[in-house]
Amino acid sequence: MTSMVVLDEPIKGVVEVKNYIDGEWVESSSDEHRMAVNPATMKTLAKVPMGSAEDVKAAVDAARDAFPMWRRTTPLTRSRYFFRLKELLEQHFETVSRVCTMEHGKTIDESRGEVRRGIENAEVAAGIPSLMMGYNLEDISTGIDEILIKQPLGVFACIAPFNFPFMVPLWFMPTAVATGNTYVVKPSPWTPLSMVKLMELVDEAGFPPGVINMVHGDVEPVQAILEHPDVKGVSFVGSTKIGRDVIYKEAASRGKRVQAQCGAKNFLVVMPDADVDSTVPGLLSSFFGNAGQRCLAGANLVMVGDDKKFIDGVLNKIQKATQGIRVGYGLEEGVQMGPLQAVPRKNRVLGFIEEGVEEGAKLKLDGRKFDCEGYPRDCFLGPSIFHDVQPDMAIAKEEIFGPVMSVLHAQDLGEAIEMVNGSSYGNAASVFTGSGKTARRFQYEVECGNIGVNIGTAAPMAFFPFSGMKDSFFGDLHGQGRDAVDFFTEGKVVIQRWP
Amino acid sequence: MIKTTSQLISLHAKLEEEAAGKLRVLALHHTGAAEALNRLADENVQHRDTVTRVYREGVTDAFEVGYLSQPLNEGDYTVKELKGPLKEAIRTAILNEDAVIRFCLDASRDANQLIPSLPQTFQRLAKRKEKRKALLESLV
Repeated sequence: MTSMVVLDEPIKGVVEVKNYIDGEWVESSSDEHRMAVNPATMKTLAKVPMGSAEDVKAAVDAARDAFPMWRRTTPLTRSRYFFRLKELLEQHFETVSRVCTMEHGKTIDESRGEVRRGIENAEVAAGIPSLMMGYNLEDISTGIDEILIKQPLGVFACIAPFNFPFMVPLWFMPTAVATGNTYVVKPSPWTPLSMVKLMELVDEAGFPPGVINMVHGDVEPVQAILEHPDVKGVSFVGSTKIGRDVIYKEAASRGKRVQAQCGAKNFLVVMPDADVDSTVPGLLSSFFGNAGQRCLAGANLVMVGDDKKFIDGVLNKIQKATQGIRVGYGLEEGVQMGPLQAVPRKNRVLGFIEEGVEEGAKLKLDGRKFDCEGYPRDCFLGPSIFHDVQPDMAIAKEEIFGPVMSVLHAQDLGEAIEMVNGSSYGNAASVFTGSGKTARRFQYEVECGNIGVNIGTAAPMAFFPFSGMKDSFFGDLHGQGRDAVDFFTEGKVVIQRWP
Repeated sequence: MIKTTSQLISLHAKLEEEAAGKLRVLALHHTGAAEALNRLADENVQHRDTVTRVYREGVTDAFEVGYLSQPLNEGDYTVKELKGPLKEAIRTAILNEDAVIRFCLDASRDANQLIPSLPQTFQRLAKRKEKRKALLESLV
């Protein structure tokens, strides 16, 4: 039966993970390791070095040394490397997707979607000759012209999260490198293998040594990246605590550019005039896609108005559809939701569910009872739904990062917007409505970087910035789109007269 | 039940591959029709690759990709063995085409909210398969 097909696992045995520095695969100088585990099967996938300042120094030195040559390489030539990389990514699309599922736990559809969105960033970077153009004006005074040119700065680095191990580094690296900078990627030690696959393809694409480097590890390499004087800027995706208190503070205090994309608590507001049939799938995908482990995931569902029949109808449909979600190993094609990525993440979600119960919310669907037949229970959790949640409860305020839906009620749109804006986070919010007036007011007043109108997951594409406000973003320029080009370049103004 | 896009694409690939395999076996036994039957089998493979490509180029985690609103029943779409004399085997081959056309149309309906270019691709394939039926009929 197709519904039970388990796809072949591309990783056999335990991978000894190495750094990729100056075009070579090299051992880390660190003696400490962590085992990366498939969260569905709990089988060990990789032995990951925890990394060291020495590793970072070697990578940054290689990137710094490669920079003068790479900067002189024409934008057109640089773009051709990305055409080659794109072609290789297409060839290895399925393998990379399966690796992503194996190390993260997400479903194969989700992994393929992630890989596609990563490739899209390489495609956008291939257009760098157009994207990187400056501008000019003749005769700013008689016989004097002024031009602005965009120049690369040097070495940039990315500190990547576990939840999108393939896509997130590609939000940054292609634009950074295509604009003429050189790069160091530090993947999450929980999910290092997607980046290992990418670096294999970077190597095959023939990027010159030192242009793109990878260092594995945890705290020490992060600190070394933040402290290294040759690192001109850092892109980070992760928690607000680390993003604000460590990455932003430490990097900015050393004069580095920073874009720290952080935590979220996203509200999805359903108006009484919403189209129920198209709203429910959008909600399910938003709340339970990637097992809720994404910064654009729906967290709070706000039902607006006092039409009890409408509200009960929507909630009943959600309840029924959620109960039908098939949870399992992401390489089984019929699975719609995978496990949490690791045991501590599951325990964190369990803690929030218990807190929600203690605070008096009604647990209408209890994912804690879920048992995944044929697989160890360690990381699996079913979807949970809380009703009668109040805005001051922890489950309504804190980022849970798991498959938990909290249902709140608002009398009208104004109250719903107040709830959204009352959150310390400002990553994403969506409204489901049939009214353009409602949608415009929502878009106008809500203090979030990414707004969805009848869209459950407002994920910006590669040619738009991945926005974010308040505690969800620290820095000035976001990843992706024109923001990224500006982040990775310095605008230099030339005023010239030729007498 | 077929509940995810991945399953949908896999089932389509399986149907096309099975249809192609059966046409090639039939071609071995009926040399007079072999060229046409092998060409049809090649087309099945092309159809499989087209759908896979459209899926891979359109799949994204940005929108609702993983959940079919109306799950399909895999058992509703089967490709049968092509047995007996050529006339009988061709009749079965036409029924097989009908099964794949039905799948394409159902998939087109249910994939509508998933990847915008998939429904059109399935509809186009359904039209082409209608024409294949005429070609099959002409072989007997």
